[in-house]
Amino acid sequence: MQTTQDAAPNQPAKVARRGRPIPRLSGGLPLVGHLVPFVRTAVQLLERARAECGDVAAFDVGPKKMVLLTGPAASEAFFRASDDVLNPSEAYKMMVPVFGKDVVYDAPPAKMAEQFGMLLPCLQDRRMRSYGEVIAAEVERSLESWGDEGVLDMYEYTKVLTNFTSSTCLIGKDFREDMTDEFARVYSDLERGITPLAYLNAHLPIPSFRNRDKARVRLVEMITHMIKERRRTERESDDFLNVLMNTKYKSGAALSEHEITGMLLAAMFAGHHTSAVTAAWMMLELTRKPDLYGRVRDEVFGVYGPDGAVTYPSLREVPVTEACVKETLRLHPPLFMLLRVAMRDWEYDGYFIAKGTNLIVSPTVTHLIPEVFADPTRFDPDRFGPGREEDKQPFAFQAFGGGSHKCLGNAFAMLQIKTVFAILMRRFTFSSYGDPLEPDFHGVVLGPKQPCRVRYRRILPREAERFTTGARERGAKAAPGGVSSAAKTPPATAATAVAGQCPFTAAPSPEAGSDGGAR
Amino acid sequence: MRIVVDEQLCKGHGVCMGEAPEVFSVTRKGELTVLQPRPGAALRAQVEAAVKYCPTGALSIEPGE
Repeated sequence: MQTTQDAAPNQPAKVARRGRPIPRLSGGLPLVGHLVPFVRTAVQLLERARAECGDVAAFDVGPKKMVLLTGPAASEAFFRASDDVLNPSEAYKMMVPVFGKDVVYDAPPAKMAEQFGMLLPCLQDRRMRSYGEVIAAEVERSLESWGDEGVLDMYEYTKVLTNFTSSTCLIGKDFREDMTDEFARVYSDLERGITPLAYLNAHLPIPSFRNRDKARVRLVEMITHMIKERRRTERESDDFLNVLMNTKYKSGAALSEHEITGMLLAAMFAGHHTSAVTAAWMMLELTRKPDLYGRVRDEVFGVYGPDGAVTYPSLREVPVTEACVKETLRLHPPLFMLLRVAMRDWEYDGYFIAKGTNLIVSPTVTHLIPEVFADPTRFDPDRFGPGREEDKQPFAFQAFGGGSHKCLGNAFAMLQIKTVFAILMRRFTFSSYGDPLEPDFHGVVLGPKQPCRVRYRRILPREAERFTTGARERGAKAAPGGVSSAAKTPPATAATAVAGQCPFTAAPSPEAGSDGGAR
Repeated sequence: MRIVVDEQLCKGHGVCMGEAPEVFSVTRKGELTVLQPRPGAALRAQVEAAVKYCPTGALSIEPGE
């Protein structure tokens, strides 16, 4: 992965053997470049690189030559490049100690494609249709211990919840039922080994990496035990673990227990924290925006009533909720950078990018470009609505990446979070506890800094009836179960109508207005 | 109308098949076949739903025969 040039830091022209010199980020130190800020505060570093240099920015992190590409056009070039030009495997070596050798990103390209292909059936539409009910049941179950009112840390809650939902849907019911405290502990050790530092050297002799390696060994043991148990009892079940146990490579070889564990972990990691942070951010944003909170609640009561079942087709009827999920993903994309390594010399927009360069696309940075998303720091779900549709610009909204490596779980994630809100908003009323809302920059999935508490109060049956009647009078439609019609309801109407209905809207928040008036 | 598939973006989720089974077929391996590249007007609503809900944005409709 060594680069071919030997440019000293801060020497602009050296990178460009041909073509224009790539603007370089200032402030790099000799030898280490921007190593320290990259490890400590990578997001700010990337933001500064964009601000200083524009769409294409170069900097060094230790021996690695980095080029940051931001904005839809540069991102599109990145996402559309084929694997033999810009390769993700090289860049995600940091995940090898977690997923295991020869699994997904560490496997040769053809094998990696085969392995991802094995994951696909679990995320295809036909399976997805049953997930809504599974997730809804998990959410209801999670609420059993809540009592009538209280305070909870939203991120702590969504982490536990999505651990259960992802494992039930993707791995299997028995796995979820057998999930012990030990599993949670081991899993968390594994997670803590994923930091920007691991990107530079995933095998440093530090405690978090040692714990990560121990955790993986233990997980292989646990999953191996489970596989043996299934083989012994000849129990057939319709889940991912079963698919993996019975799938064979084209060569005819079965997957080893080591590989199965790695694939399960890849599925868990992809679907767990990313969904957990999104659900947490969304609730924290909504409790700070009473108008918007009221619109979402109106929508779910209007569609489902107090006790209606959350089904796959009905989840199409919640455009306000959906826009809020999307806006949450825009403002708080779980992954702040996506990586590739240039396998050969490459060129973008007249800039020469040498073989071996590490390329970064940053959803966090691109989502905050004002020419792309108007008034970008504002939480404004109506930007996706009729007439604005800011997400329709190709490769502008990139929370799920793009191109051939775009997140396979995109639809699953949207389904999951909409389901969570369709239940939560009808069972309890949430309000802000007042903890400051800011990202925790530790780790590679950016969640809210804890504590991030909310207050909750149970919605009593009479109140639920009142919310339903109110919502339906205001025009939110009952679930027709057929093709979407509610999607055509202009969200603005609901917003204006509901202001003042929510117990927390004594002073409607100006930032939650629906007319984009701040611009 | 004519259906256009961006092969680079299609990942084989099969949402289109769920929406318009007469028009799209997707295998468990994720291989898409467009059964009717120029579906009749009666299928328009279904095809539009397929385009709208495609998780990778790989589908579009072009006007004309």
